[in-house]
Amino acid sequence: MTVELERVAKSFGPVKVLHELDLAARNGEFLVLLGASGSGKTTALRMIAGLESVSSGRILIAGRDVTNVLPKNRDVAMVFQSYALYPHKTVFENIGYPLKVRGLRNNELTARVKEVADQVQLGSFLERYPRQLSGGQRQRVALARAMVRRPVAFLMDEPLSNLDAKLRGHMRAELKHMQHRLGTTTIYVTHDQIEAMTLAHRIALLEEGKLQQLDTPAQIYNDPANLFVAQFIGSPPMNMVRGELMEGIFKTRGKDIETAIKQSRKKAVLGVRPEDCSISGTENGRFRASIYATELIGDHVLVTVKAGEDMLTIKASKNFNAATEAVIGVDFPQDRLFLFDEETGVRLK
Amino acid sequence: MSEAGQKRDRRTARQRLFEAPSIDRMAPVSGFLVYAALVLWTLVVLFPIYWILITSFKTAIDVNRGPVYLPWIDFTPSLNAWNDLLIIDFGDTVKAYTNSLIISTTSTLLCITIGTMAAYALARFNYRPKFGNIFAFAIILIAAVATIALFKVDWRVTSATAAGLFFLFIRAAGRRMKGTVGNGDILFWMISQRILPPVVVVVPIYLMFQSVSLLDTQLALTLTYCVANLPIVVWLMHDFFATIPLDMEESAQIDGATRFAIFWDIVLPLTKNGLVATALLILIFSWNEYLLALFLSTSKAQTMPILVAAMNAGDRGILWWTMCVVIIVMIVPVVLLTLFLQRFIAKGLLLGAVKG
Repeated sequence: MTVELERVAKSFGPVKVLHELDLAARNGEFLVLLGASGSGKTTALRMIAGLESVSSGRILIAGRDVTNVLPKNRDVAMVFQSYALYPHKTVFENIGYPLKVRGLRNNELTARVKEVADQVQLGSFLERYPRQLSGGQRQRVALARAMVRRPVAFLMDEPLSNLDAKLRGHMRAELKHMQHRLGTTTIYVTHDQIEAMTLAHRIALLEEGKLQQLDTPAQIYNDPANLFVAQFIGSPPMNMVRGELMEGIFKTRGKDIETAIKQSRKKAVLGVRPEDCSISGTENGRFRASIYATELIGDHVLVTVKAGEDMLTIKASKNFNAATEAVIGVDFPQDRLFLFDEETGVRLK
Repeated sequence: MSEAGQKRDRRTARQRLFEAPSIDRMAPVSGFLVYAALVLWTLVVLFPIYWILITSFKTAIDVNRGPVYLPWIDFTPSLNAWNDLLIIDFGDTVKAYTNSLIISTTSTLLCITIGTMAAYALARFNYRPKFGNIFAFAIILIAAVATIALFKVDWRVTSATAAGLFFLFIRAAGRRMKGTVGNGDILFWMISQRILPPVVVVVPIYLMFQSVSLLDTQLALTLTYCVANLPIVVWLMHDFFATIPLDMEESAQIDGATRFAIFWDIVLPLTKNGLVATALLILIFSWNEYLLALFLSTSKAQTMPILVAAMNAGDRGILWWTMCVVIIVMIVPVVLLTLFLQRFIAKGLLLGAVKG
């Protein structure tokens, strides 16, 4: 089922947390709302759930206007960051609660609960209490409780951020698999770009209550709409160099870099991803830089270099070895450059 | 012997006496002092109860012989007083006992029911009644009462007019007024009801019940206790409710539970310990209450504290021995209840609710 936000805005008193957001999750889509804290992503999710009132605009779930509908009548299920399990109820009662309050009869309730519990491998834990479960198991109880009702959409508010790193990776894969199998529209809020990139069909990147870009992970990574998106997505982040753009020539510290964008800006920013940079001899590189630090990650080495005042990160092969403060050249292909207007942040194409 | 056991204590005698051997234990000297003080205080607290117990087994002669404390040595215990009370004065005692039981349990139940709901509402909903509206309500109410009392206008006509005026006022002036009262103010207003000493309001309460002919009834005491204890319930339960993570309630809300279902299924079980402690407190307050009972009951609705007090004003002089029997009978249920409910009062139930 679809979930649509039409010019939805939210203010808390004079503070505007969400500016007229237009967003639509397609049927069966895994849509991730990504943003730093305070970007309005959680507020947007809570508005879809009905936990937060809408200041202006409309919310449609499965084509029905639910802007002023109570949460319980929206037919969505939500997984909270804290899991929000009921500590005084067993796993069985926790999972069965949404069915119980809807007046489902006992034998059908039992059958449904057992079915979802098996799907999340909790079949043998039904009599336990949440405090007797591990973090990952509690997470799965929360998921099962959302699944048991077969809602039109799942809403998830940073469901993995309370797990340790290893378990998080595992649960990420499980979540993706589950969502694929159930085919239920899912709106997922996170501040973790890896989670967003790996899980999403499409990512909606929010900043200061404004939608920055809505696109597939690959498009967001390869074709960022603006400076913010380019800096936010990618780890380590994109290298940025400030300068002036004149008729396609980017000038910085006496260096001229030829670009394919035939425009002029007094203040421009040139961006290039660490993996697109390479280390070359001092003579033929586009920048001369001295090595600031090298970090062996495993399959590659991150080399941080200092070119004047700018710090650049380069992803080098794992065999790279050079002394700190050694002078090297940095090179990158012309077609992997991004140019932005520094004042507006707009991508120049 | 283990290696740790073989290690010799190299501290000086002074250190051994005055310094704590580890961070979670006390030094011998301070430990002795602390326990001595505690034992002493325990004796002070328990002595009156001991006195009551032995006096209840004394005869009139033994009591009047002066202070003696050791049964079988100083005096011969006798069941005289118990006999007097349980056989001769049995009817009165049973009546007061049932009155106390009925009044304190019903008023506690009523008070807890109303109080928890009020506390929950104050913990979860935002109320912002406008100052102007409250003010207008009070003025119109006073005017209406005055009109009925002074000018003998029919009360139905007056109240209808007053209600109409009030709603007109809200519509006309309500939007322009800015000053509002918040939940905190309402809470404070409630607890402020306990600032007045009860003796200040006891005469008006007496007159009120007199005018509706409810003096010396169980109902009068039940209602009064309920109202008097409401602020305590609201205040205590509000704090318990405020500590419940909001996520849980929101989750239940999305899952389809009504407000009342959330209150009943989620919130109350999670605050069970606080609820039991509060109920016990209220029950004990009502059980022991003397002043209001003294005014509002004369014979039919007499409660245990009144019965005890009456013992020292009889025409036969102060009957210490029977009084002590009544006191024992009176404190037994409270002590038993407290022992029984103790397990509810300390437990980390919220553990495992949130976080991994």
